[in-house]
Amino acid sequence: MNQRDLELLSAYLDGQLKPSESARLETRLQTDSQLASVLTDLRATRNLLRKLPARKAPRNFTLTRKMVGQNPPLPRAYPWFRFASALATLLLFFSFGVNTVGRQMASQASGFGMGGGGGAGEESTELFSAQEAPAAAATEAPAETEAPILEMAPMPTQMSTEAADAARIVDTPAAKNTGEAENAVTEDQVQSPAPLVPSTWQIALAVIAIGGVLFMMLVRQLSARRWK
Amino acid sequence: MPLVSFVVKKESYSDKITPMNEQALITDAQGGDLDAFNTLILHYQDSVFNTALRILGDEDQAADASQEAFISAFKSISSFRGGSFKGWLMRTVTNACYDELRRQKRRPTTPLEPDTEDGEEMDSPRWLADPNMTPDQKAEADEVEHAIQHCLNNLPLEFKTVVVMADIQGMDYTEVAASVRVPLGTIKSRLARARLRLRECLQGFAELLPASYRLEDGINVS
Repeated sequence: MNQRDLELLSAYLDGQLKPSESARLETRLQTDSQLASVLTDLRATRNLLRKLPARKAPRNFTLTRKMVGQNPPLPRAYPWFRFASALATLLLFFSFGVNTVGRQMASQASGFGMGGGGGAGEESTELFSAQEAPAAAATEAPAETEAPILEMAPMPTQMSTEAADAARIVDTPAAKNTGEAENAVTEDQVQSPAPLVPSTWQIALAVIAIGGVLFMMLVRQLSARRWK
Repeated sequence: MPLVSFVVKKESYSDKITPMNEQALITDAQGGDLDAFNTLILHYQDSVFNTALRILGDEDQAADASQEAFISAFKSISSFRGGSFKGWLMRTVTNACYDELRRQKRRPTTPLEPDTEDGEEMDSPRWLADPNMTPDQKAEADEVEHAIQHCLNNLPLEFKTVVVMADIQGMDYTEVAASVRVPLGTIKSRLARARLRLRECLQGFAELLPASYRLEDGINVS
């Protein structure tokens, strides 16, 4: 017997053959005892399987909402509140970041200014060169006027006199006052630079974020209670 | 007294769910109605459990696979596009059984079949009979059932699935083909070969079988 015959017999057993195929097989079954024997065996096997006792399920397999991860239905506005709360939280953290970076940048800028930057820096550079001038002049002057020094020791040179005058100008109380005032303003600016994001905005964002979370919790609880 | 006195349970709830309200329940379940799906579960849970039991051969594993199958079925019920709902459920439970068998392969456990003195697997599963069941007839019936389960366990998985669906669950060829997603011809071939192998295996338990089920020796299929 071949595989094809086996399939024919199995399908014949289940009534799955076409009428013509069935008729042909039945003719063969009448003459072929081995084929008939196999058919009997297959039928017996199938009947044994069919008579296997159907076991009752050991428990009910009904599902709970928790098992399938089903959540209570939420109001349509819920996603908007969630979005607003998330956005407010994000912006709040961003505002803190912006203010921190802004403060750092301001302090760096003012530190650079104290070392000789900005408008005051130009002035002080001029003053610094004016202050250096007498020293330079003083070193050059003795060479030119070596003899007169011996003769007119008390008389300073023209250049050194001008430089000394310039140095005196810097040392005047008026100039000193102007410099101090500028320095004081700069220090004030360094100590308390205005925040880029006002604190009122930050408070508003915090209120929206926290309020949104509380509202969502309330809505979820109410929905769950109503759902039960 | 016949050796086998199985009581074939008829589905007593068949009058509760008609094809018409089954469709309504499916539609409701597709809309997320868990109660509707639970009604379907109550209707099909015995069939699903029995299919899992015959494929896996273990009640606890079959119960777990059935539960997994129902959870998976509810989550993917939107993919059900009509046809036989039972067939669709059977596909879900066979997939759950395949997953369970794959898990077993990854974490092999001690086999239930004891070895003989020669180190070979014992043919007769008589020892599996529940010792608490004293009536002889029940014990013998259980032995036949265990013998059949033993032979089913020895079948290749694709054969076992087909024979469980067609011969134990009574599904027709087209339903089985839709469930297993293979052509009708393949179903016919697998079923014929599965029956032949079962027949050969059951010959080893000839003394347990009633006279009407005794099988003749020697079929050579080339």
